[in-house]
Amino acid sequence: MFYKHVCKLVLPPVLMFVSMLLMSGAPARAELAAPPGVTPPVGTYAGADVAQPIEFPHDIHVNVNKINCMYCHTYARRSKVAGIPPTSKCMGCHKMIATDKPRIQKLTEYFEKRESPKWKKVHDVPDFVHFSHERHVKKFVFDADLPVENVEQVCGLCHGEIKAMTVAKKNKPLTMGFCQRCHEANGGPGDCWKCHK
Amino acid sequence: MSFKNILENWSAFRKDAEAGGHHKYDHRWGMAINLDVCTGCNACSTACYAENNLPVVGKERFEKGQAMHWMRIERFWDDADKQYPERGASYLPMMCQQCGAATCEPVCPVAATYHTPDGLNAQVYNRCIGSRYCSNNCPFRVRYFNFYSYYETWAEPLNQQLNPDISVRDKGVMEKCTFCVQRIRTANDKAKMENRSIADGEVQTACAQACPTGAIVFGDTMDPNSAVSKLWAKHEVKRGDYLSKKPKQHPEKRGYRIFEELNVDPSVMYLERVREEI
Repeated sequence: MFYKHVCKLVLPPVLMFVSMLLMSGAPARAELAAPPGVTPPVGTYAGADVAQPIEFPHDIHVNVNKINCMYCHTYARRSKVAGIPPTSKCMGCHKMIATDKPRIQKLTEYFEKRESPKWKKVHDVPDFVHFSHERHVKKFVFDADLPVENVEQVCGLCHGEIKAMTVAKKNKPLTMGFCQRCHEANGGPGDCWKCHK
Repeated sequence: MSFKNILENWSAFRKDAEAGGHHKYDHRWGMAINLDVCTGCNACSTACYAENNLPVVGKERFEKGQAMHWMRIERFWDDADKQYPERGASYLPMMCQQCGAATCEPVCPVAATYHTPDGLNAQVYNRCIGSRYCSNNCPFRVRYFNFYSYYETWAEPLNQQLNPDISVRDKGVMEKCTFCVQRIRTANDKAKMENRSIADGEVQTACAQACPTGAIVFGDTMDPNSAVSKLWAKHEVKRGDYLSKKPKQHPEKRGYRIFEELNVDPSVMYLERVREEI
């Protein structure tokens, strides 16, 4: 009788407590390290799944193939937007690589029809916000002498750990407070008209 | 301070307004408009409409005072013009003067209008609640209020030419000339990417670009070598210090700022029109 009560009432909270301790001690996944000397912006966001025409696996490209973010998102260092690569860039590799996979066959179909997949925007800020990728990449990568192979740390400040995702999901709030706190911590401009105009 | 003194120069209470007040300026954008070569053709105004996503309101709303032109050409007939009407009117392009000590700024209840470190009088649309105090306190009448949601009824192919670098405003917010801040910011970003400061002539406002006679000169008045600074210096117009201003002696020195006696420190210098006495 007593044992039954222990099992029913005492054990579950104890087990929960122990598991919480374990989880807090060793989180399920190590957070992406911030680049040296940078105070990362604070905040998380549970973004919804975005249905893309092809489930592009970021995890395979980054973890297995070790492709740099800026190899495909090549406009990040040159313009306001990071850009989606043209289908021809995908085909540069996928003419030869993994041609038997259904996703690649779908991609090849698009390429042969001379259409681009209608990718959906995941990290979208409102029209009255003017964010420039090139200025951020220059400050945190090129001016800070960060090795370019570590650029994912800088991207991760606002995009989170994309390499742990298949299809990209929004997991940082990208709100004004999120931006502004980071600007204050890292010496960014505080002028309203820098971002809103 | 006597009450008389307050009435005469209340703006002396501003903290070092002439030196920039609470601001440490990086740039102070300014303009020089030569009225002698202005033909009143309205190209500047049209360019402003195209650049800044301005709605065309139509005659009825215009007559109600709901026009949205950030830049307007004002016409004047002085006495000599009336005597010789074939000479035509005098024209004066009027836009936000980006005052150094702007009267619109302190009256905003939500600080939606404020002064930027580059000497611009900013209007933050998202913060604006539409109280319209700023417009009522502006001596130049250059602030325009959105009475309607024009983006909903934008004529079909024309919505494709909206400028993505500047917001499309909704109803209920105030707006005004920004000295084409989107161009200034783009040039600034470009200069910073190349580790240099903005060169003179790198930024051109839409009106200055469109002016067929080159009447509008835009630049940084803090840079003594810029074209606009040289014009200001040539015509002996400088910021602040309006009390010690002497009447113009030399006919070549035609520069003046509108409502200088209010000591709002406008950033636009006009060059008087030269007219032959008949």
